[in-house]
Amino acid sequence: MAGEQSEAQLQIRFVTKQEKYAVPDSPYAIQSSVQSAELNNLVNAILKETAPTIEKAVVFDFLVCGELLCTTLAEHLQQKGVSTEETLDIEYLERFPAPTPQDCLMHDDWVAAVHTHNNWILSGSYDNSIHIWSTKGQHKLAIPGHTSPVKAVSWVSFNGDQAVFASGSHDQSAMLWVWNVPRNSVDCVVTCRGHEKGVECLSVSADANRFATGSWDNNICLWSTSLSDEDNVPAKKRSKPDHGNTREPLTTLKGHREAVSGVQWMDFNTVVSSGWDHLLKLWDCELGGIKQEIAGNKAFFDVDWSPVNNSLITASADRHIRLYDPRSTESIVKTTFTSHTGWVQSVRWSKTRDTLFLSGGYDNQVKLWETRSPKTPLYELSGHEDKVLCCDWSNPSLLISGSSDNTLRIFKSKHAVENA
Amino acid sequence: MPPFRTGLLKRKIDSKESKKVPEKNTSEDESGDSEEYDLIGGELNVEGDDTDSEHEDEKETGSDQEQDEVLFDDSADSALSGDEQVEYASDESSELTDSENDEDSDDGSAGEIDDEKEASDSVDSGAESANGKSKSQTKTNVQVQEVTAKTKQKQKVKLKNQKQKKTPYDDKQTHDSINRLASTIEKTSVTQPVEQKDEYESGDTSDEEERRNTVGDVPMWWYNEYQHVGYDLDGRRIMKPPQRDHIDDFLKKCEDPDFWRTVRDPTTGQDVVLSKEDLQLIQRLREGRVPNPEHDEYQPWIEWFSREVMATPLRAFPEHKRSFLPSRSEQLQISRIVHALKMGWTKTRKQLAEERRKRREKNFYNLWGSATSEEERAQRGIHKHIPAPKRPLPSHAESYNPPPEYLLDDKEMKEWNKLSETPWKRKYTFLPQRFGSLRAVPAYERFTRERFLRCLDLYLAPRAIKMRLTIKPEDLVPKLPSPRDLQPFPTSEALCFRGHTALVRSVDFDPSGQYIVSGSDDGTVKVWETSSGRCLRTVSLQEPVSRVSWLPTGALTLVAVAVGSRVLLLNPGARVGAHRAAQRTDELLQEPPPQGDVRMDERTAACVKWDEVSTEEWALGIRIAITHFKPVVHLCWHARGDYLCATVRDGGARAVVVHQVSRRRSQLPFARSKGLVQCALFHPTRPLLAVATQRAVRLYDLVRQQLVRKLLTGAQWISSMAMHPAGDNLLVGSYDRKCIWFDLELSSKPYQTLRLHGGAVRSVAFHRRYPLFASAGDDPYIVVSHGMVYNDLLQNPLLVPLKQLRGPAVRDELCALELRFHPEQPWLLAAGADATLRLYS
Repeated sequence: MAGEQSEAQLQIRFVTKQEKYAVPDSPYAIQSSVQSAELNNLVNAILKETAPTIEKAVVFDFLVCGELLCTTLAEHLQQKGVSTEETLDIEYLERFPAPTPQDCLMHDDWVAAVHTHNNWILSGSYDNSIHIWSTKGQHKLAIPGHTSPVKAVSWVSFNGDQAVFASGSHDQSAMLWVWNVPRNSVDCVVTCRGHEKGVECLSVSADANRFATGSWDNNICLWSTSLSDEDNVPAKKRSKPDHGNTREPLTTLKGHREAVSGVQWMDFNTVVSSGWDHLLKLWDCELGGIKQEIAGNKAFFDVDWSPVNNSLITASADRHIRLYDPRSTESIVKTTFTSHTGWVQSVRWSKTRDTLFLSGGYDNQVKLWETRSPKTPLYELSGHEDKVLCCDWSNPSLLISGSSDNTLRIFKSKHAVENA
Repeated sequence: MPPFRTGLLKRKIDSKESKKVPEKNTSEDESGDSEEYDLIGGELNVEGDDTDSEHEDEKETGSDQEQDEVLFDDSADSALSGDEQVEYASDESSELTDSENDEDSDDGSAGEIDDEKEASDSVDSGAESANGKSKSQTKTNVQVQEVTAKTKQKQKVKLKNQKQKKTPYDDKQTHDSINRLASTIEKTSVTQPVEQKDEYESGDTSDEEERRNTVGDVPMWWYNEYQHVGYDLDGRRIMKPPQRDHIDDFLKKCEDPDFWRTVRDPTTGQDVVLSKEDLQLIQRLREGRVPNPEHDEYQPWIEWFSREVMATPLRAFPEHKRSFLPSRSEQLQISRIVHALKMGWTKTRKQLAEERRKRREKNFYNLWGSATSEEERAQRGIHKHIPAPKRPLPSHAESYNPPPEYLLDDKEMKEWNKLSETPWKRKYTFLPQRFGSLRAVPAYERFTRERFLRCLDLYLAPRAIKMRLTIKPEDLVPKLPSPRDLQPFPTSEALCFRGHTALVRSVDFDPSGQYIVSGSDDGTVKVWETSSGRCLRTVSLQEPVSRVSWLPTGALTLVAVAVGSRVLLLNPGARVGAHRAAQRTDELLQEPPPQGDVRMDERTAACVKWDEVSTEEWALGIRIAITHFKPVVHLCWHARGDYLCATVRDGGARAVVVHQVSRRRSQLPFARSKGLVQCALFHPTRPLLAVATQRAVRLYDLVRQQLVRKLLTGAQWISSMAMHPAGDNLLVGSYDRKCIWFDLELSSKPYQTLRLHGGAVRSVAFHRRYPLFASAGDDPYIVVSHGMVYNDLLQNPLLVPLKQLRGPAVRDELCALELRFHPEQPWLLAAGADATLRLYS
């Protein structure tokens, strides 16, 4: 059979959307048993003739029938059920370069939350503290304040020397902090109290005016991020001496029947939330009502929304990552990505590339996915020795994941060429 | 013989002849025939007019004259003929007897014809001259008068008649025709006034031809005794006409030439003279011919209705619808016949012929044929034939000309000869030999013997069919739905909670499923986060923890921990997240209720003691401690969270203790021991307590304080119990590897006994929301099953084993010690003997 395959020939034509790598539109006859490496050599050889300006060899990925070529061409076509008789269009694009491990930030306890903004990494830990790191791996601050594991952290804004960030914890509160960068001092400005149970997730809106928290009490609360709170807090609450001021939620979105595990802003007015009750809900923040509901069949652990391609990606209590399109009225999964061997706890879209996302699972793996290859991830970012609890790709060049082996691992991705 | 007599005879003869003559004439004489017809026609005319004459009287005008003339003529004729007869008779012979009538008849007929012709001629002249009216009157009168006169004369003339018969008064008779006519005219003139009135009246009253009797079809002899014979149309009596005796008849016969054709109408009693047409009619009827003389039986046939289509059809109406539709009755008949043919009840001619042909053929018994078909075998009396086993086909060595390699060479020959003592050890049973041709092959000397042995084999070793029942193993398994359709259920291990150092005895979820509490033999109680497997808190209690149970209500966070003989109520929430609930719990439990409220009888107080908690213990999270008199093995919260049921090992009658937390008091619900109590469970909705002893489960009503039901498990030693969240089903696990499902509504006997385990079953659990239950024990597998309980009471629960999950590692022959389902998700938690907790999803 191998002999047969090696003998089988097929006609291909190379297509690309990246103009600088364009090759003549002439068909080539190749063996059907080739893999992407051989195709890569071929394209590079052609490029050398046609475009001598490109000096270094470029590594390409090949899209056949809308899916990334991972096996031999023959097997791929057989899976897709495509005839080998006709001329095949193979699209190629520059491969996303492999991320390289850059750093490993040691914590005292499990790392439950992480968020980056430009050069600063914010991490929340099970030892009730929040840590600020620089992207170079320098530990800036350890901030105690919460009385329970910090489950969610997020940068809110950078304003010159002053940086604002929010944190949510299982002590049923979310806190708004101000970090003075030059002085490296941090101050808890506002404590947000309103949840009956621990805060599980937190998300800041794009305009940085509000943030939403999801909690184990099945509610989502929307809070203001303003540091001065005269406008929206009753006077008697202000007298609490604890951690500065206490704040009450702007809106409470009630509707989930079980814990809210993930919350994300879709635009200035819409929040998407995932719950343990197998539901994804899209909320209208102005009205405080549900815009849309998508039902899954497993408890959701995390959700992320990409403004680049308007898709939702979810992690749930099984091995699969599911891609939903919120615009479709039926809650049909568009794609299921299966490679993890344990629960997937966290998923994050790339901020710049519409087809890439990151996932971290309980099988100690962080995986970089391409939406067009649902069976095989692009890269497996291994290194963690225990369950990966969180991951982050807010800084396009840094792939960060926190794990229950008390480490935060940073992978650096060389900025690949933007999609055409 | 008197002349009237002869006249009568003549008439008779006439009538006979008139009957006979037409027949003769048709054959013999045509001229005579025509004459006869004329004669008869004349007579008929006379007759017909005679009947009419009575009514067509004075009103008649000249047009009627002819008839009248004829009528008159007839009467004259009859009178004349009578005279002439008399004359004739007198001329010929007055002494003619009846016997001579035959001879006379021929002559008489001819003579009469002549006479009548003459008479008609003679009278014609007279008739023309006479006035029709008066004459018709006179004529009728004559007739009537004759009758009336005769009646008058009846008595008078009787004697005369005798004389008349003897004495021929020829003279008188000869003149009589004219005289009588004259006399009758006279008489009529005399008698008319009396008689005529009636006549006219009757004539005037109706247009009918005669008076009609209206009595209907009744026998006329009914009127024998009356004067009348019935009633006419006006209801008047129709009087009987005066009776005539034989003499009158006789006289009339003599006098009336029409007597022979005069009949009496029985209904009216009137005499009716039959007309010539009537006579002809009677004659034709007698002869059996068509009554109408004009009818021609032999007229040419014209075929009006033929198949030729006429330009103007005789019948213009359209064909009936029936002629286009198939006949239903015919169809039924045909179908009946077809059915009979199909069933073989009737046979076609062809088939019958075939059968006959077969029967005619000679039928030989096929002596040498083998009975191949079933019918033939049955014919021969072979039932359930088993064919004889086939002999193997001859091999190459048995050929008359075997290939050389089959022939024995010298070495083999030597061997062959060596084994002559033990021939069964030889390679062949025969010696392969080579012959030049088939012709050269000698006779096989053992042939007969071998054939005989073969027959003996077949005959003496009877063969039998062995009926073998083939049951596939799949057929024995009940039809159950595919597990794929019963999702979701836990299928794989998702998380492993590590942290304990000794086997974990007990686990429980908090009501929301966020946390897990576990108690271990290493003396610690640990609180874990479900989703991450993080141990959030460890409480060290020094003694092995036998049981943990989280308070099922969400408002408070309290875990009941059984440590040795103590039950500790632990508040784990202080550092795990549910701060407010923990705070509330602490506030609630800080102050013990007033002592006056706590009252326990001595028996209870002797075995249960509510202890104050020391400060160190309070710091650990212990809020209340209850000390029992023996080690506590099982704990169960009531669904509302106020009552806690503790089971004490070897407690006898005091094995079950119910604690009320809010009032800090205890109760001993049972006064007598029913056996070794294994565990006790509160019913989720009703005030029932299920108590499992070694072999039985008893259900007690706590309000009425009585035994509701005793469930016989059939197990040797019960290990654990779980109540279905709806409360109607109970699952019991036993140390002899059984899981026993009870449907409490159904019976006190097990609904189903599941033997799913290879070792003792130590724990069983129901899911609160999904139709799932699980059992685990000493074998390394946890079995998850689908246990659907239907709301419909008629439908029995559906139990389907779904999945064998690889349980925790086996340590000291123990594997999983307790199972709990997540309250919301289809996840299963197992406490393992290898010091781990395993979460399956």
